[in-house]
Amino acid sequence: MTSKEKYRVKAVTRRQVLEATVAGTALVAAPAFLRHALAADPIKIGIPTVITGGYAILGSQVQRTCRLVKKMTDAKGGVIGRPIEFLFQDTQGDPAMCVRKSQELVERDNCRILTGVIVSSEASAMLPKLEEWNAVFLSHGNGDGRLTAELFVPRFFRANTSAPMGARALALYLKDAPEKKFIAIASDAAWGRSSNAAFEEQIKAVGKDLVDKIYAPVANKDYSTYITKILQSGAQGCYVALQGDEARAFYSQAAQYGLAQRVQFFTEIVAQADIKVLGKDSLGLVGSSRYPVTYDIPENRAFLAAFQAEYKNEIPDWTDGEMYQALMILFAAIEKAGSAEPTKIIPAMEGLDVTSVKGPVLMRKCDHQGENQGFVVKVVKNDKFAEPVGEIIKTYPREMTTPDCRSASFRAR
Amino acid sequence: MNWFGFILAQCLNALSQASILFFIACGLTLIFGIMRIVNFAHGVIFMLGAYVGYTANVVTGSFLVSLVVAPVVVGLVGMAFERTLLRHLYGRRDGGAYLLLTFGLAVVLSEVIRLIWGVQPLGTGIPDFLRGVVIILDQPFPLYRLFLIGLGVAAAIAIWQFLERARPGLLIRAVSQNSEMVHALGTDVDMVRTAVFGFGCALAAVGGVLAAPLVTAFLGMGTSVVIDAFVIVIIGGMGSFLGSIIGSVLVAFVQVMGAYYFQDLALALMYLLMLLVLIIRPGGLLGKED
Repeated sequence: MTSKEKYRVKAVTRRQVLEATVAGTALVAAPAFLRHALAADPIKIGIPTVITGGYAILGSQVQRTCRLVKKMTDAKGGVIGRPIEFLFQDTQGDPAMCVRKSQELVERDNCRILTGVIVSSEASAMLPKLEEWNAVFLSHGNGDGRLTAELFVPRFFRANTSAPMGARALALYLKDAPEKKFIAIASDAAWGRSSNAAFEEQIKAVGKDLVDKIYAPVANKDYSTYITKILQSGAQGCYVALQGDEARAFYSQAAQYGLAQRVQFFTEIVAQADIKVLGKDSLGLVGSSRYPVTYDIPENRAFLAAFQAEYKNEIPDWTDGEMYQALMILFAAIEKAGSAEPTKIIPAMEGLDVTSVKGPVLMRKCDHQGENQGFVVKVVKNDKFAEPVGEIIKTYPREMTTPDCRSASFRAR
Repeated sequence: MNWFGFILAQCLNALSQASILFFIACGLTLIFGIMRIVNFAHGVIFMLGAYVGYTANVVTGSFLVSLVVAPVVVGLVGMAFERTLLRHLYGRRDGGAYLLLTFGLAVVLSEVIRLIWGVQPLGTGIPDFLRGVVIILDQPFPLYRLFLIGLGVAAAIAIWQFLERARPGLLIRAVSQNSEMVHALGTDVDMVRTAVFGFGCALAAVGGVLAAPLVTAFLGMGTSVVIDAFVIVIIGGMGSFLGSIIGSVLVAFVQVMGAYYFQDLALALMYLLMLLVLIIRPGGLLGKED
């Protein structure tokens, strides 16, 4: 080898210098970008949720989804270059406590964005205070139809499927069902009454008969009387607007009476937590789903994969899906506004159209209700999951399942 | 369905509910009768029984074994609490100290349950031999609820016979009437108190195990039940065993019939009954008016 050839071999070409420069810059700059994002002021999101008490399981689902979202969002450099910070407070499901804890979040921690409230009566208690707090409140799961109707305030948005919307999807499905006579049982709370009223209106509109309706006291434990009443009614279908402890107690006791062999259950909310506890007793249950875990679109597949990787193959419940959707809508609004100030988020969220884990959602301007698709599911065994899950049997477009503006009715639909 | 069949079904519903209420109210009234302590932790102890029963059921695969294990474990927890903490307050005249201590126990136990079993509700199945329904006058009625009624009646008779005829029962009644005299006669009154507190907790635990297949085991399951139990004890008379049986049956019937015929007043009816009893007999149906 000549000396010239040796020189050529060891020489660094211009291309190599350029490549090394680009790689070096990227190596140095990337952590700096992340450092900048994480060093910036965090966007504080207040979560006044139920940590102890009867609805603690729903609150625990809110918390786990928030923790997952924080991890996912911060890894991507945050929102508008700022990290996310969730601040949790325990409301115990009590409206007065919820207002007090929210006030603490606003005044002590300077949280102007609130979400994760569990009970509808808690949400309605907060509405009159939002202007004073200069806060924006985004519902992830509050079902009471009145929140975007007669109780409407400009600082409140609802990303989730409301009780009238769930009832509507089910009523549309039942229009072609063989059952003619129905009986309804609901929790004697704002959500249960709202759900039952919507179901009554809808089922009569499709020409079916509602023979009786039952309002069980909140936190009721013994359903034997009501089960006897359902058996006596001669109804072929039973609409169930119960959730959490109430729903599990009802379905457990109904199974012991063999009620499912005589009456088909239709529920406004199919909850994975109930399916998990009820096991095979839940099979065959038909209901409206606020978040169908089996919905096969890229956004949901990605969420499901991230969730199961984080929580050891746990199946996300409707609260997880709705909470995730609400946060994605919130972040899209913040990105659009370029700010986390409530006064800038509000106009950005009005008319915002986002594709989330539940498909396309439009945050309509007139009453701040998110237009969600309607899903009707049937609980079946599924090889992909360790527990039975709700399999989608019917999907309705969002225009059909969202009520009239500032109303819980569907007269114009 | 004929009218008689319907009424019979509702009566059986009420009796099955009365059975669970009896287990928790009986323990509460025994503890009050002997120790003059209103045990605010009784609802959480009922809940602890359901959770321990769940674990025993999972480990052994037997519901019947869980019906034995849960009261033993919870009874021992109750006895340990009485011996280590409650005992130091016996010299105090004010009842407030007992309330605070038992309330504190309720809070601590709730958190311990949350830490051990988590927030997820736990479903307890019933054994195969108790599954299914029996048809009574065209009306399906769960076999499990018949089992509840039978067990409740058997337990009530056994406890009544124990208190009336057995020597330990005699001692318990004697301590409730004049503990100083019993002590002077050479009986270890402290031991009687510990045993009664543990026994009361064990009865609540049985109630928890029996209730779990109906409502699942979940945090907060004892909250409303303990209120029902307090109402029963007040109606029956504080410290009266027979009163707790009558109170349980009355409250259960009022709840079941009220829920059917007066839906909007279902919750208020139980308290109206209590008020009525207190107006007529301020000490409860079988209690003393001191």
